[in-house]
Amino acid sequence: METEPEPGPGPVTEVEMEKDMRRTNIRESRTSEESNPCAICLGPIIQESFLDKCFHKFCYNCIMQWTKVVSGKHSLKLASVKCPLCKVENFSIIHGFVGSSFQQSYINQDFGYGFVLSKAHKYRLQCYYTEPGLLSDIFSVSSYWKSHKYLHPNRWLHTWLRREIQTLMQEEDVGIVVHHICGVIDSFQTKSKQQPKRNKPEAKSEEFRSLISDAARPFLAARTDLFVSEVELFLASGLNIEAYDAVYKQRLGWSSPGETSESTQGETSELRTVIPYLFTFDEDSDGTD
Amino acid sequence: MMIVEFTVFSTFKFVAVKLSEVIKQQNNAAELFSVKASRARLFKEFKEVQREKVADPDIQLSCDDNNIFKWTALVKGPSETPFEGGIFQLAFAVPEQYPLQPPQVRFLTKIFHPNVHFKTGEICLDILKNAWSPAWTLQSVCRAIIALMAHPEPDSPLNCDSGNLLRSGDIRGYQSMARMYTRLAAMPKKG
Repeated sequence: METEPEPGPGPVTEVEMEKDMRRTNIRESRTSEESNPCAICLGPIIQESFLDKCFHKFCYNCIMQWTKVVSGKHSLKLASVKCPLCKVENFSIIHGFVGSSFQQSYINQDFGYGFVLSKAHKYRLQCYYTEPGLLSDIFSVSSYWKSHKYLHPNRWLHTWLRREIQTLMQEEDVGIVVHHICGVIDSFQTKSKQQPKRNKPEAKSEEFRSLISDAARPFLAARTDLFVSEVELFLASGLNIEAYDAVYKQRLGWSSPGETSESTQGETSELRTVIPYLFTFDEDSDGTD
Repeated sequence: MMIVEFTVFSTFKFVAVKLSEVIKQQNNAAELFSVKASRARLFKEFKEVQREKVADPDIQLSCDDNNIFKWTALVKGPSETPFEGGIFQLAFAVPEQYPLQPPQVRFLTKIFHPNVHFKTGEICLDILKNAWSPAWTLQSVCRAIIALMAHPEPDSPLNCDSGNLLRSGDIRGYQSMARMYTRLAAMPKKG
């Protein structure tokens, strides 16, 4: 079946190559929009999307449709898709650029059983787009460290972390990451119990933050610092997930009519402009500090 | 009740019969959109072909007057092959999901080639089957077929007689047979 020596619509012989070059020259003389059309629809590229290895670009719809067709042909879940132009295996499609941010759709998850963010996940995501310190007047992180509350395990932490990491990684199967971070927190507590009250509360907080940060950074990248603050805040609150969410949502202006505080009004208008997606792989993105 | 069911079924079948084999999880709306998209793409190719007619003298692609999914091509037999001097006609049946699915191409002109079925004209070419990529165009498929004519692949034959001649090393036998059929079928009749 391997009859065509040159894969891809490339030139076949030297004569063909010359013709192709002539054709390219003709194309280049046209307008820039026409000169580089999407290889799938041959039209101007709509919603520019790049493959992550070869960086060939296509319309978002075109490359998504093609990936669906390719994954539909295989009974097993695909991990990669071949570039229609150069046949390089690609693992994700990068699209939706807004400033320095972008979205990334992975072949193995978005075209199999895709993980759709639930309402609770979306609310958590929203939390990462608000000003840090939104709840600092309610929960006091410093008293958490001063009063050595950190020595008591939090039994909601595992469930809470799971939802948090699912939200940030936009992935359902995050068991390993949750386990890893829980392990780090557990060993921090055990160690702290063995040498009680030796360090200053500030130093304790510092130590905790850097441990979590190191553990989470490979998975959360640019969102790590905010994530660490959120973990600290949740632990400091001493609340269960439901109660914590209720307080947070009220502050965000999401719910609890009649209980809206003055600060909510100012915040809501700001919140509406927020894009519900992540800058996960962009270290320089805004909102991380 | 039966009639309604039948109508719904046959309409659905008309739109989606081929697509459903390939795209399992797509809904009807997406399929209809895909037909529109393939029409638009074929129209772009049509315009490009009009523009390039002079650029590639070996290929003459034309579209059926009333159906943009039916095309024919006249390709020149490559030089220094037994097909030199012949003009071969190809028929393209483009699926409604093109370019997500490859066009079906066959030779209308009889040709003695290991990878072309002698009776039906069916072509055994990977890019028309599982190695298809939507970046190919009807024009570039023609170029690939010309390349296949110049470089037969006797190990995956559709025409066993032709393949066996090449595999047994009887190049002269293969060439003279192929040349004979080129003269008989692909050249204008003299007189």
